[in-house]
Amino acid sequence: MTVFLSGGAKNGKSTLAQHLAKALAAGGPLYYVATMIPHDREDHARIARHLREREGWGFTTLECGKDITNCIIDKNINGSFLFDSVTALLANEMFPGLEPDLTAPARVKQDLLALADWAEHIVFVSDFIYADGGRYDSLTQAYRRGLAEADRALAARCDCVCELCGGNITVHKGVLPQW
Amino acid sequence: MHLIIGGAFQGKTDWAKAQFSLDGSGIFECSEEADACLSAPCVTHLERFALYCLRQGLEPAEVLEQRAEAWKNSVLICDDISCGVVPLEAETRAWREACGRMLNALSRRADTVTRIFCGLPQRLK
Repeated sequence: MTVFLSGGAKNGKSTLAQHLAKALAAGGPLYYVATMIPHDREDHARIARHLREREGWGFTTLECGKDITNCIIDKNINGSFLFDSVTALLANEMFPGLEPDLTAPARVKQDLLALADWAEHIVFVSDFIYADGGRYDSLTQAYRRGLAEADRALAARCDCVCELCGGNITVHKGVLPQW
Repeated sequence: MHLIIGGAFQGKTDWAKAQFSLDGSGIFECSEEADACLSAPCVTHLERFALYCLRQGLEPAEVLEQRAEAWKNSVLICDDISCGVVPLEAETRAWREACGRMLNALSRRADTVTRIFCGLPQRLK
């Protein structure tokens, strides 16, 4: 089963995603795809907090900040995956250094769809960054558009799509699995 | 009138085209630089029309009310710009608030209101 979760920051997406991924694993292999590439002390602290939150859940962590085909599909493992997050993956691929990679959005979208098709069970987490009315520079707009296109492709492909707000769940598509 | 709202890049126009069998020629895209053709079968980016009105010293909700005959059978589409931090610029603050008043007024008049989230419709009215 494939699930796509989105919503604003700190609304309970990751927590729900952990529950869903574990429930879908049904005792089988359970993987956490860690997409954040730490750049500073704040990032390391956030990663440490996330690791503590997952302690005892039975997740095997796969470090995968870029090139998810290489990181996951080619490793010939399968089971239940928590992919957190689409937002970070696109940022890593699109802004690898000083020069942005404007081909990243199309590639990332295809990679994510391939992962959705390949995984036995997967829960994707993204971020809803589209309703603030901010007037951004063209590069930021390209990132927002790219993320939205990845989100829409995943939402179209996944069995279940939910939006989180204050820990409350709105199901936009399909049926939430038992968790 | 059918009102469609949602965040940027969510697939609102694509959904409207499919739902209401619109082709590209019937779709008018608003600009903040010029007046809008509100009688088009589908009018997109009403948030830009709201900014155009404000810059003329007009309240967008009132302008739309005065010209309701034009759009009463149209599909109206507007970006949701309501969810960020209060903007630093005075014009952007006024725009965001005027856009909210406009959408509240249009929602009351609409036969249906649909929010598009990641390409998926959520019927609000």
